[in-house]
Amino acid sequence: MNRPSLQATRASAFSRLDFRAKLAVFAAASVAAVLWNDPRLSLGLMLATLGACLGAGISRGYLWLMGRLMAPFFLLLLLTHGFFNVQYVLRLTGHAHLTPLFTLPARLPLVGGMIFSAEGFYYGLNVIAKSMTLLLLVPLCVFTTDPNNLVVGLVRMRVPYPFAFAFTSTLRFFPLLFDEVASVIEAQRLRGFAAEELGPVARVRTYAKVAVPVILGALFKAQQVEVVLQSRGFSGRRGRTYLHDSRLGAASAATIALCALAVAVVVVLRIRLHLGAFVVPGGT
Amino acid sequence: MPEAPVARLENVSYYYPGAERPALLNLNLELAAGEVLGLVGATGAGKTTLCLALNGIVPQLYGGRFFGRAAVAGLDTVDHPIHELARHVGVVLQDPESQLVTASVENEVAFALENLGVAPDEIRRRVDEALAAVELDGLARKHPHELSGGQQQRLALAAALAQRPRLVVLDEPTAQLDPRASAEVFRLVRALSRERGTAFVVASHAAEELAQTAGRIAVLSRGGLAALGSPEEIFRDEALLRRERIRPPGVTAAFAALRAAGLTTRPPPVQLEEGLAALRELPPGRPFAVPEAPRDAGAPPVLVARDLRFAYPDGTRALDGVDLVVRRGEYVALLGQNGSGKSTLLRHFLHLLEPSSGRVEVEGRDVASRRVTDLARSIGYVSQNPDRQIFNPTVEAEVAFSLLPLRLPAAERAARVDRALGALGLLAFRGAHPLSLPKGDRARVVVAAVLVMDPAVLIFDEPTIGQDEAGARSILEVTRQLHREGRTVVVVTHHLHLMPDYAQRVVIMAQGRVLADTSLRAAYHAVDLLRTAHLEPPQAALLARALHPDNWALTPEELTASFAAGGGPPP
Repeated sequence: MNRPSLQATRASAFSRLDFRAKLAVFAAASVAAVLWNDPRLSLGLMLATLGACLGAGISRGYLWLMGRLMAPFFLLLLLTHGFFNVQYVLRLTGHAHLTPLFTLPARLPLVGGMIFSAEGFYYGLNVIAKSMTLLLLVPLCVFTTDPNNLVVGLVRMRVPYPFAFAFTSTLRFFPLLFDEVASVIEAQRLRGFAAEELGPVARVRTYAKVAVPVILGALFKAQQVEVVLQSRGFSGRRGRTYLHDSRLGAASAATIALCALAVAVVVVLRIRLHLGAFVVPGGT
Repeated sequence: MPEAPVARLENVSYYYPGAERPALLNLNLELAAGEVLGLVGATGAGKTTLCLALNGIVPQLYGGRFFGRAAVAGLDTVDHPIHELARHVGVVLQDPESQLVTASVENEVAFALENLGVAPDEIRRRVDEALAAVELDGLARKHPHELSGGQQQRLALAAALAQRPRLVVLDEPTAQLDPRASAEVFRLVRALSRERGTAFVVASHAAEELAQTAGRIAVLSRGGLAALGSPEEIFRDEALLRRERIRPPGVTAAFAALRAAGLTTRPPPVQLEEGLAALRELPPGRPFAVPEAPRDAGAPPVLVARDLRFAYPDGTRALDGVDLVVRRGEYVALLGQNGSGKSTLLRHFLHLLEPSSGRVEVEGRDVASRRVTDLARSIGYVSQNPDRQIFNPTVEAEVAFSLLPLRLPAAERAARVDRALGALGLLAFRGAHPLSLPKGDRARVVVAAVLVMDPAVLIFDEPTIGQDEAGARSILEVTRQLHREGRTVVVVTHHLHLMPDYAQRVVIMAQGRVLADTSLRAAYHAVDLLRTAHLEPPQAALLARALHPDNWALTPEELTASFAAGGGPPP
């Protein structure tokens, strides 16, 4: 039987790194994502991060779901920048006017005659790529880390153990909760309940009923987990030991060093050579 | 000087918060090192509460009122914090998945030791040792959820053992496991109690395994101790078994029936080997070949799978060319080990899954062209967890919910609800909250909610899991009644001993394929085939086979009847 989990489906060179090294990767990629406004670089960074996610075994289903959830926001971003981001893009490009990609027909009320600019479009793409990179870095770093190593990593970073454990437990709990909700909705469908045939109010009212078994199920599971944890001596006291203590291996140490170097290079190139400044691909 | 007991209960009574009836009542028990104590009793007798009282979860975590004294390894379970008691008591619960809290097998075993502050080198030693003891060495780096149900339960046992406790408490540890996985868990309990001197308390309905494993058995009834004795003393006491609704091992029931028929005077054995040896004292009997019930080949097919293949997104091949035809009016038992593909197959008939290849038909129509919600009018599905199918505030509303999509006139809707409630004996509970009812009744509510749609086919997925014998029989009686009304019934189960009274036909699945599709009698006597599918035939069938190669008896009654002059079917 398949079971929901957000954890990466396979081990990889990246997943074997210490969590602190992954945080360094996270920081370096975030710095680049924030500093770069060149849509080509931003897209490249996003694709590299996506590739790293796939290579590290992050569930394609999760990535697809993330893309689907974000798609409406990204569309809104693209439209906003294409139509409305004029002054800022003009300043970035140093041009006197923008290049129209298309103009909305004048007969349309309110928006008739509005110009969708190429510069705005590319800047929108750049923002989307930045956002997506930052979003992808979370599963890349968190879901490729064994929750126990995550706990140890967080404890080494002086996060109290009970909080670190609660954090990783939450990561495990969410897919289970979604699974629970899906099961109850499935049970409703198996009773002939077709949500798509109902009006919005009736639909919401019926879906609200899902809360009863889901909350009960969640409470039951939470109690079960508490019984298990307490039975295994979990108390949050000091003096806890770890089977795999967090020691930086050569690969992790090298990764941290490389990330530090990368950050320095990105910052210097951005300041000195303006590498990553906004440009319109194919433009001047 | 005699060794101090590992656990001692003195006049222990316990009330859950707000409860007026005690969950435990005046319990007195002692447990010695290396002893295995079986706990039996009907659902609600207090088995789980007693298990949790042994490591302080009751009352420390649950609250409530606790009287008397419980001590483990000399530590009072009320006065000493649970994490301190955890050094001496390991606990394994019923649901293998819900007790796995980390992301790798070795970390699961190490978790308690880390909490207890054991040095890393020592943790490593104990993890390796515990995994070797439960034969999971080599899987240390796996994610616990990648293991089979049986492996998960062994992992939970390893996690408990690594604490090197003096006592391990197992609460229904094999309820969700197939017979082979269940036998593995009990084999480990026997080995560990013998070799390490670990004491075990095992609450279970698995009479055959308890008879083989437990030194003593405690019978709980309404929280009190109804009886305490050796497996022989307990399982031979027919009045006690009847009163407390406890199923004896098949071999005991078989010999009790033979004894009642005057065919033997020996006290019924409780272990199969003993029973097989005792058969030598009996005449060989006659061939007892009950004619197979002819298949009703003329009835139209209602469920059809043709060369059905399915793989989950992670690549797990769950169905590998399944061909199956279920005809109208049949009662089919679908058997197979955990993960053999039974549930996956059923989900295809409900159109909850799309086949990778092959064809699925319900009532002659390709499922691909039908929606799940339409199929619900043809197939009623009762899952193994009724609580996931309950979401209304009253029993009546729960049953009426299924009729919402049909938009029936109010009078007809009310009449249908009344009929369904009446058929399931739920009229008295119509105003009650479904979740306030006992599990058996909750399952009935779900059956009523399905029945109200008047489906031609009913599918029950593991309806007897977690039920005592009486609860299981009660649900199966409902299935029998529905079958008698002309409906097609498919029941998925691991509890083979229950099926002879109900199913006509058996489909055995293994590794995503149909291993056998035959009459129940033929299937239950195909011992090697059953064992290939990790199943175990009822002990009465094994005794019958040992008596005579043509003795096809399945139940104690049939076994007794096979000695009747001329053999033949039972009266």
